[in-house]
Amino acid sequence: MKIEKANIKKYIPQREPFIMIDSLKDASDEGFASEFEIVETNCLLINNVLSESALVENIAQTCAAGFGYLNSLLEDAEPRLGFIGAVTKLSNFQSAHVNQKINTTVSILNTFENIHLIQGTCFADEVKLLECQMKIVLA
Amino acid sequence: MNRDQIIETTKRFLSEEFEVSTDVIIPENNLQQTLDLDSLDYVDLVVVIEENFGFKPTADDFKTVATFEDFYQLVEQKLAELA
Repeated sequence: MKIEKANIKKYIPQREPFIMIDSLKDASDEGFASEFEIVETNCLLINNVLSESALVENIAQTCAAGFGYLNSLLEDAEPRLGFIGAVTKLSNFQSAHVNQKINTTVSILNTFENIHLIQGTCFADEVKLLECQMKIVLA
Repeated sequence: MNRDQIIETTKRFLSEEFEVSTDVIIPENNLQQTLDLDSLDYVDLVVVIEENFGFKPTADDFKTVATFEDFYQLVEQKLAELA
């Protein structure tokens, strides 16, 4: 585990109730992995089903935590802010429900200057829920 | 890969990726304006160049590229370095 739940806020700019990631399981130059349990108080639940936008946000926050973690190793500095530049090639396969645990993987496909093209995929119980590509711009 | 092959390959993948007619991909045209590239699009351009020509251009490489003719010269130079 790279970042435990108790420390995740040190690496992402989001705050409750908009935190959509619990912990960062893995981080390397190739990509990241995170976990997130859907609790019944989640603000993006609709009839106990997590919205598609919440999964997209989960991928973005996995990136934020991952890049923030890597940056902290390199520079021992505050995490850099990142912005979603674009979301493309989005496929929504299944919905996630309360009490399910989301496992998200992010692969860094390419980098040009401060722009990272990533592929993110969310799973629950090893079933693919959603995948998309994002351009993440680090400030 | 000779110049003609570079041009044909470039026309094919740029027209597909950036949804422009191959008719506008001509040596004297400006690459950025013709493809309507913004800063975010350059990462897509890097991806398709790497997929089709096997090298990854840097930001410095793009500083030398204004027209498609400049781009073809860059590709020739990079492929020669790889050979």
